[in-house]
Amino acid sequence: MLVLRPVQLTDLPQLQRLAHESLVGVTSLPDDSERLRDKILDSCTSFEQHVQSPGPENYFFVLEDLTNRSLVGCSEILATAGFNEPFYSLRNRHFNSASRELNIEHDVPALSLCHDLSGHTLLRGFHIDAAWVRTAASELLSRARLLFIAAHALRFSDTVITEIVGYSSDEGHSPFWDAVGKHFFDLPYVEAERLCGLESRTFLAELMPQYPIYVPMLPQAAQDCIGRIHPDGQDAFDILEREGFETNSYVDLFDGGPTLYARTGNIRSIAQSHTTEASPGVSIDARGRYLVSNDSLENFRAIVAELDYTPGQPVTLDAGMCAALKVTEGRHVRLIAL
Amino acid sequence: MIVRPVQVTDLPALLALVRQAGRGLSALPAEEERLNHRLRWAKRTFAEQVERADADYLFVLEDDDQQVVGVSAVAGAVGLREPWYNYRVGLTVSSSQDLGIQRHMTTLFLSNEMTGQSGLCTLFLRPDQRLGGQGRLLSLSRLLFVAEFPHLFGDKLIAELRGSADEQGCSPFWDSVGRHFFKMDFSHADHLSGLGNKSFIAELMPRQPIYTCLLTEQAQAVIGKPHANSEAALKILSAEGFAHKGYVDIFDAGPVIEAPTSDIRTVRDSQLLDLVIGAPDDQAPVWLIHNRRLENCRVTAAQARQSGHSLVVDRATAKRLQLQPGDSVRAVPLLNQQQQAVAA
Repeated sequence: MLVLRPVQLTDLPQLQRLAHESLVGVTSLPDDSERLRDKILDSCTSFEQHVQSPGPENYFFVLEDLTNRSLVGCSEILATAGFNEPFYSLRNRHFNSASRELNIEHDVPALSLCHDLSGHTLLRGFHIDAAWVRTAASELLSRARLLFIAAHALRFSDTVITEIVGYSSDEGHSPFWDAVGKHFFDLPYVEAERLCGLESRTFLAELMPQYPIYVPMLPQAAQDCIGRIHPDGQDAFDILEREGFETNSYVDLFDGGPTLYARTGNIRSIAQSHTTEASPGVSIDARGRYLVSNDSLENFRAIVAELDYTPGQPVTLDAGMCAALKVTEGRHVRLIAL
Repeated sequence: MIVRPVQVTDLPALLALVRQAGRGLSALPAEEERLNHRLRWAKRTFAEQVERADADYLFVLEDDDQQVVGVSAVAGAVGLREPWYNYRVGLTVSSSQDLGIQRHMTTLFLSNEMTGQSGLCTLFLRPDQRLGGQGRLLSLSRLLFVAEFPHLFGDKLIAELRGSADEQGCSPFWDSVGRHFFKMDFSHADHLSGLGNKSFIAELMPRQPIYTCLLTEQAQAVIGKPHANSEAALKILSAEGFAHKGYVDIFDAGPVIEAPTSDIRTVRDSQLLDLVIGAPDDQAPVWLIHNRRLENCRVTAAQARQSGHSLVVDRATAKRLQLQPGDSVRAVPLLNQQQQAVAA
């Protein structure tokens, strides 16, 4: 059985492996043990802190295979994008111009550096072992975060965003980077992403273009990257799209990948999840597959379970489920259909 | 050869000349009605019936057989009716001390800096005439005219030189920039601009600064470079003190050269002399001579000898200038090729 839980310091060695294997564009998972260690400690603090409104907290979760205690994935929630440092992105804005006399009218899209997206809650750091892609496990890893948000609404914003990794080739080339960022940084794409994960991000403000970049002037290959997803990011994108997330006109500075956006209250796993009481036992007719979580904070747990659930009734959970969820008779659980 | 203001009767000759010029002369329309309109306007200009903002001093170069073989013009002021746009080739510097990275990015800024300045324009000399001093006469006669009537012109003179384009008339700069906003070929945009319909430029031009690193390499290479056909004009004006100060044409990125009016060699060094008819010797230098008239302006180039406050010319020269002995002229020695090279 797989269970999603907050990260602990003892997870560090396994996290290093995951970070090493994750997509270049997943910058919040730096391939650097000291940085990872800092992230774990920061996460523990976030879970322990008494919070009345969203601040700089970062909630770092791991997906553990209970059969062998190995980690198969991780994901995070940053309570407030841009709290400590501005959260930069590119706004794809249309400059409208028209000449009545010549009967020409056109929209010229241009990309402008901005930090409009500061203040939203940010889902990030999603990585799962290749074997579990497009399975219930990736649903759990991604959506359990939403159940956590539902359980602890005060800690999060009214709006949630995420950046989906943009296209880059197998050799690590991003056409968008080569046409835009590279001119301003004089670094290869992989190196720039790595720096983003390590250093403070003020270098972004210092080096990124201050003037809008007219999209038609970019090579076609770069234009095609705007809003395009890396094939390995499709799973993450699809899961959140089903949750009600939509693309808006913001893309990633480096690879042009899309930003997804949703109002917290409209997210499916938040709006439609039910809370009920756990009733330990053996269920006879477990018809539906559900994501189930407890509503705890530092003891947050979430699993996938086959259940026989009737809204308004307590839900029967077997011994393995109760143990994984750390719940006993009468304790609250939250569930949503897979 | 004389340079004189255009007349309405020059219309057929000019039409023939314009058609011969092909693409290079967008400011002089090949349509009869439009050309006629310009000629009439120039006539009013020389009659001092228009404001500086609208002044169009259009000259022709005429040989002794009354054949019109060239045109040149100077506008009283650019940009006072419809905005005059250029790109300023500037620099944006960004740096991150933490990363030890510093970037110098050449950036094009849309600018109206030339507003109100006087502009040399519409220069064309029939190819078979491009020998001897005809080009210099045609081009520099305008400067001598400015020297005589400075109150009609601005503090600065500018000249927009044609930018690089291939034989088909394609401009790499246009293809990398303008085309995306105007959605037309360079020649069409050029044509529209030449007709005087310039509002479309304001309406469609990208107003944000443009990082040149985002342009194609060919486009970057032609920024500030004159077309091969403009090299001669550039040489002549450079010798006069015109220099490229970083402004370029927004369509083809051809260089704008400029000079403070009072610093222009012909303006600064021209003298008022009394005409004397005589026989200047074979070694006598060639002078650019203006009869000091406006509506009946005549400028010619001829061998002459200065003697005190007098300028000795032959009878034919005096006749071309429509002057009598003792009449006042404004004159300056015309630099030859070698002297041009030194002055530049």
